[in-house]
This record gives sequence, structure tokens and C-alpha cells, in this order.
Amino acid sequence: MVAGDAAELAAYRQVVAGFEAVQTEVAVRLIEVADRDELTARLSAALAGGAPPDLFLMSYRSYGQFAARGALAPLQPYLDRAGGLEANGFYPQPMAAFAEGVVQTCLPQNASSLVVYYNADLFTAAGLESPARGWRWRDMVGAAAALTRDVDGDGMVDTYGLGVEPALIRLAPFVWSAGGELVDDETEPTRLALGSVPAATAVQSFLDLRVIAGVVPTDEEAEAIDIETRFVDGSLAMLMESRRVVPTLRAIEGFEWDVAPLPVHERAATVLHADAYCLTAAAAHPEQAWAFLEFALGPEGQAIAASTGRTVPSLRSVATSEAFLDPAAAPSRSQVFLDNIEIARAVPHIATWPEIEDAMDGLLEEAFYEPGGAEAVELIAALDGVTAPIFERGSQS
Amino acid sequence: MTAPFLVGVALLVAGPALGTAVLATFDWDLIGAPRFVGLGNARDLLEDQVFRRALANSLSFVAVAVPARLVVASGLAMLLHRPARGAGVARGAALVPSVMPDAAYAVLWLWLLNPLFGPVNLVLGAAGLPTPAWLTQPGPSRWAVVIMSLFVIGDGFLLALAARRAVPAGLHELAAGQGATPWAAFRRVTLPIMAPALLLMVCRDTVASFQATFVPALLVTDGGPPPYATTYLPLYIYRQAFEYLRYGKAAAATLVVLAITAAAVWLQFRAVDGLRRGGLLARVLD
Repeated sequence: MVAGDAAELAAYRQVVAGFEAVQTEVAVRLIEVADRDELTARLSAALAGGAPPDLFLMSYRSYGQFAARGALAPLQPYLDRAGGLEANGFYPQPMAAFAEGVVQTCLPQNASSLVVYYNADLFTAAGLESPARGWRWRDMVGAAAALTRDVDGDGMVDTYGLGVEPALIRLAPFVWSAGGELVDDETEPTRLALGSVPAATAVQSFLDLRVIAGVVPTDEEAEAIDIETRFVDGSLAMLMESRRVVPTLRAIEGFEWDVAPLPVHERAATVLHADAYCLTAAAAHPEQAWAFLEFALGPEGQAIAASTGRTVPSLRSVATSEAFLDPAAAPSRSQVFLDNIEIARAVPHIATWPEIEDAMDGLLEEAFYEPGGAEAVELIAALDGVTAPIFERGSQS
Repeated sequence: MTAPFLVGVALLVAGPALGTAVLATFDWDLIGAPRFVGLGNARDLLEDQVFRRALANSLSFVAVAVPARLVVASGLAMLLHRPARGAGVARGAALVPSVMPDAAYAVLWLWLLNPLFGPVNLVLGAAGLPTPAWLTQPGPSRWAVVIMSLFVIGDGFLLALAARRAVPAGLHELAAGQGATPWAAFRRVTLPIMAPALLLMVCRDTVASFQATFVPALLVTDGGPPPYATTYLPLYIYRQAFEYLRYGKAAAATLVVLAITAAAVWLQFRAVDGLRRGGLLARVLD
């Protein structure tokens, strides 16, 4: 069972087709759903009904609620078998995001992170240097301001400098970059820790992007045309996203685009975006499922997935090969994703994390678009109040 | 003769309702072992700000949408009950939104209500009227969900149409012969005869309206704009159960919907009874 947009689902279909092409004993039925929420709903309903899929692909931000409830069969015993997949072949950061202590619960299919996609033609036309590793937050805001333009003079902004979703998963790396922390305890979080000066400063800088700096589309403009579409049609200079959007961006013909690491407050940081294949405890065909995993996560399967542009391979050998770093396929600076893996941090591991993110995202979005601008201190207090009981419930799971 | 019906009701209504009541007393994710919490889920609901917001949203939706849908359905029935040129097409058009798949209907409204490029705001703007931020401001978003519901009145329209056609033409001729104005004829002849059908529509629509917000809230407004402007009880229950795996709490919220629906229908019957005792509906109902 997998979730994703059309390009993502196409990638999974190719992997399944590749598996079925090299063997005839195991048939795979791919169950496709639209998004993370639907995946959770379908999976929980299937688990409750006693007929779950053998495997599902899920972000580490969501899988914790299933792991904590014993719905998963750890993949460590399969990994310990001689031959086949080897743990040290994978990047350690995504592996750690799906491990319970020393036991590997699920196996990562990708190791993406948050980056900045930029319209190289707009930068050149404005006489700006392309963003590069080590660029600062103020550099990004300055470039975004220079690139936010009312071209036809009708009083409406035609080109915005930056597009970023007002969501915790976008804010998190900047809190870390400023020297702050999201939660009080990384391994056993009990509440948010955004009240520190560095964290609050990062939150305020993020909130100021819309109302104070005016470099991102308004609420109505983003609702009318989403930021991904704006980047594709050339009316957005920079887009903060993960590797997920690359298949869509590869369809761009009118301008050159590339990718850069996130700007820095005090230290380089980014947030891990990783999905893993998990085996359900009630799987009817665990051995066949493992056979599929050996292909999908092995060199051949990961190369197929990488060729679609959708994934940053979690297997080092494939990530550093031309299957991913193909010089003929945009973005030309895909090495940025591999450099990011070293500094990518995961959000906390707690069973109620999806609920915490949902609660925070609503308040964050409201503050981001608040007319007149919002105060980080007030937002942080509200976030703490609304999430404290959810943390408490999660720590009891 | 009623045995199959009773078996169906027992299996499909009473059984699940009883199961929901039992589930509401447990903390259960349907994966691990259930834990009995008694009224713990009910207390949890009372303390949950999102639940309170969803409850208020649902009640306000029902209070506005049910009368509005009644007026639209019965108004269309009045206009289209006579055989006339184009009336058949118009009657068919009134039914079309009701037979559209919910998801397709929702996507259509996403386009219609697009804040900058949607036809609704383009027309309003061209007419010099205010252009509400349908999907980004709490008030307009709630109105958007009500407006979406006003076009899905096919079954109510059919019921009202049948009721209007059941009014004997001779009564109107008699009223006209006695010098009654069209408004007087409607108020003293048409409306009293249609009243039982309209009351049935109100009761049925009240029940349906507590559930009718789910698809628009999920697909068009996503429960927002924040904080929870269009999170109605069905969406709240769905998220608690299927996204957060809190089936016990979702069951408790479902019981609240059931209780409110039953109370609303009971109040309507009481109101009808009061009208009957007062003689206002005596000519029709007795």
C-alpha cells in the first residue's frame, strides 16, 4: 500500500513491474491511495478488519503510531540473514528514523530532505548570484524581496520571491539552524521547547516572511494557485520542498531551474524526509514480502525508483551512482541532497506525532497569514497549550 | 411481513449503534487490547476545544442549511410543477447535483470558489459586489459549505413536487372564484395540504444535515481555514478514528451526533404537535 501523487505512484508501479519482470513466483498487488491521511485511514481500517496489506510505505512521521501499537513485524530478523540486503549499505540517518533501539522496524526507501528549488533565469535576470551552500537566511529574504515584483504595474504582485508552506515540517530546520530545539527531550519528548530565544527568533523570522517581508504569496493567492504550480509556471523564484516535486519540475521547459541547500541562521540544518517499507505483524505473505523488499530496496529497485526523479535513494551505492546523479537529468546539483543527509535531523519519535503536527500546522498557518503580522511569543504559547495534552497521551502509548 | 425489515434494522442499525455505545466506553485503536475507560471518552470530549468547535459548527450548519434547503426545494417545486416548455429540463437540472459523485461535486466547487479565478467571484466582482474569500476566511468558508448544500436537494425537490401535484386543481379554482389572491390561495390552500410532506422533509433533512458536511469539509475546505472553521462533527469523528486511531473517542462523538439528531427530531414533532393542538394545522392534519 503506497500513497502519493501521479508521479510518485508511477514510480512505485515501475518498481513493481521491475520485480515481476525478474521473477515469476510472487505477484504484487499495488494498493494506491492519494495521500498520507488516506494511507493512515486505509491502513488502520485494514488492520482493524484483520486483513492488512503485507507491506506499506510510510513516512517516519506517521509510522510511530503503528509501531507503538505492535502492528508491525520488525525487519531486523530478515536483515540479519546472510546475503541479501545489508544494513550498512544504507545511510544511517533514515535507518535510525525507523529503528526502535537496535531493532530495525522498517527499511527506508528514500532519504530526502528539505531544499530550495530556484528559477535560475529569474536570478540571472535580476543580477543575483545563485544560492549556494552556506548562504544565510537574510540572503534568502533579500533575494526573495528583489525577486518579488509587480511586473505590469497593476498593483498586484506577478512574481513572488519565495513559496513555503506554513507548516511545522518547513519551520523545524530553521529552529535547529538557529540553535533551538523543537521539543524538550529528543528521545522521550513531553512538550514543545520553542520558548528559547534562538527558537523564538527562528519562528518570528519565519512568520515575518508573509506580512513583514511580503515575499511569499498571500493566503488567497496560494489558495488560488498553489506554490508548486507557481514555480512551474515561472511566477515563483524559489520553492522550499523535498525531492518529491522533481518529476513535476522536470516537465518545465521555459526556464532553467536547480536546487540549493536551505539558508542558514547559525548552523547548517535540514529536516529528514524519509519513507520506509514496513511489514505488518499480521502479514499473510511475509517471505514473499521480503523477497519484494530485497528487490525494491536493492540496487536494481532503487535505481528504478531513482530514475523517476522522485526519490533520493537510501542505498549509498545507488545514491552516489549515475542512477541518481545523472548529469543529463535536472536538477544538476542533486549532490545537494546527498550532502544534506549528513545534517538531516528527524522530527521526534512519538506515537501521537501526526496529531501534534496537525494541531500545530493549523495555528501556524493562521499566524503566518494574520493581517498585521503575528508575534512568535504568542504563537509559541498557543502551540504549547494545544500540544501539551497530545504529548502527554503520546508518552503514555 | 415486517420480519425482514426488522432483521435489517437489527443488523444494520441497532447492532452497530449498540456496538458504538460499547466502543465509546473503551480506549481502543483496534490494533492493541481495548482498555475500559467508562465515561473517560465523554470527559475527554468535554475538554476538547476542537470537539466543541465542531459541535458548534454542525449546529449552526443545521440551523441555517435545513430551512434554506426547504425553501429552495419547495420553491423549485412551486415553479416547476406545471407542464410547461422547458419545465422538464429544469426539473432534470434540479436533480443533477444530487446524482453527481460527491468527490466530483466537491472538485467542481473548488474551481467555482477559487478566490481569484473562480467564476463565482468573477461574477460578483463584475457586478460590483464584494468578493468573499470563500476558502481562506472562516465566515465565508462556512457559507460556502451551506451554499454547496443548497444545490443537492434532489430528493427533497421530488418530494415537494409530488406533494404540490397532489393539491387538487379544483381547490385553487374555488379559491379564485371566491376572490382569493394567489398569495392567499398559497397560504390557505397549497401550504396546508403540502405541510405534512414539508414537515417530513424537515425531519429527514435535519438528520441528513448532521452528516452532509463530510465531503465538502474534507475535500473543499479541509476543515479550515484555521482554526477549525469548517471542522464539523463528521470530519472530527473521521479524523479521531481513522487518522489518530482513537476509535473510542470517535464512538463517543458519534453518540453525541445521534443524541442531538434524536433531540432535534423530537423537538420538531413536539412543535408540530403544538401547532396541531393550536388548530393551525387542524384542517390538514386531522
